[in-house]
Amino acid sequence: MLDFSILTENLDMYLLGFKNTILSSLIALVASLILGILVAIMRIAPIKPLNWLGTAYVEFIRNIPLLIITFFFFLGLKLSGLYAGTLALTIYTSSFIAEAIRAGILSVPKGQMEAARSSGLSYGQAMRLVILPQAVKIVIPPLGNQFINLVKNSSILAVVAGLDLMYHGDLISSRTFVVFDVYIFVAAFYLILTIPLSIGVGYLEKRLAKSN
Amino acid sequence: MIVFDGVNKYFGDFHVLKEIDLTINKGEVVVVIGPSGSGKSTLLRCINRLETISGGSLSINGLNVADKKTDINKLRRNIGMVFQHFYLYPHKTVLENIMLAPRKVLGQSEAEAKKIALKYLEKVGIGDKANSFPSQLSGGQQQRVAIARGLAMGPEIMLFDEPTSALDPEMIGEVLDVMKALAHEGMTMVVVTHEMGFAREVADRIVFMDEGKILEEATPAEFYANPREERARLFLSRILNH
Repeated sequence: MLDFSILTENLDMYLLGFKNTILSSLIALVASLILGILVAIMRIAPIKPLNWLGTAYVEFIRNIPLLIITFFFFLGLKLSGLYAGTLALTIYTSSFIAEAIRAGILSVPKGQMEAARSSGLSYGQAMRLVILPQAVKIVIPPLGNQFINLVKNSSILAVVAGLDLMYHGDLISSRTFVVFDVYIFVAAFYLILTIPLSIGVGYLEKRLAKSN
Repeated sequence: MIVFDGVNKYFGDFHVLKEIDLTINKGEVVVVIGPSGSGKSTLLRCINRLETISGGSLSINGLNVADKKTDINKLRRNIGMVFQHFYLYPHKTVLENIMLAPRKVLGQSEAEAKKIALKYLEKVGIGDKANSFPSQLSGGQQQRVAIARGLAMGPEIMLFDEPTSALDPEMIGEVLDVMKALAHEGMTMVVVTHEMGFAREVADRIVFMDEGKILEEATPAEFYANPREERARLFLSRILNH
């Protein structure tokens, strides 16, 4: 049976960790989305050097472990654990988001761009007014997956003393010499974040499908 | 108005357009026919630079289309285009589809753009569908919206790239009727099509293409009665006798 006194007696630590995990995830989510959109557009724009730069970014970042990116900011640039972890999380996730968005844009029929351009719209206008609104629908499910991964990956902060949920779980465990129960409660806190995220994405997906 | 002068076009090693010379005058309706793969659509798409030419010169009202300095967006305002697969914007209503370019490119006010959009929707006979989404319309209705969308920019030239090829046979007539009306109003039109009845009735000139070359240019009466080229004769016998 689970020992709930572990939870109640260490609640302030759990909540502090929970708060930092939310903070770090939220910042990384917004920042990686913006960065991901920019990189996706770089990869698609009809300007060759931008394509190369975008491709290099994606291939480099997504093919090295998140832990190493985190160490780079923590040990290399000597940032605090929370900053280093959040920054690493942002950059790492942005490469996956860029790929999801690029795939979404490419799945819009080519004729949509041609129809928009032949009516006199500029490339930017056509992208913004015609292509991206259609791509959003296609991109929502894979983007949801990335956001859920992001929340879970934020546990990387524990490795660099990032004061997150996992870090506080480690702390409670080493103090109380309890392992199993401590981490079950940690998992429960992660679920409080990820389950609503899953449901929210599912809802959005359904609503957007209807408007088609 | 539209002048092709020795135009060549390659897709990689494939020579799609070979030494095209063609002049299309204001108010003229030119129908381009020929077997598939003969370069008809490419010819059409060069006019508004959806395809760039590889050699020769192409000008519209004296403006060099291929020149990097030519403001292509400005040029395209003046050229409406209708595609085989309509390409209406699925996330916008019929009205929004038509109003988008006039609002964003010409800077029309909402009210003005709406008035013009409704006028052209009436003209193509589906004023009652203004607030529908494209997916709620039949193919013929969608194509008529696409025509209205092109017309709303007030272009001097309309390009049609096999506008009826993706339609159910029953719906071809309603689209051709709109195009005929347009032709009688004096619109300059370049039409790639397999609709021989339309070509015969409406075209001022027929251009027959094969393997990237213009083999024959003639009035419909001349062309259908007595095609000069053997290849054209063969083509006609194949599509007319069944």
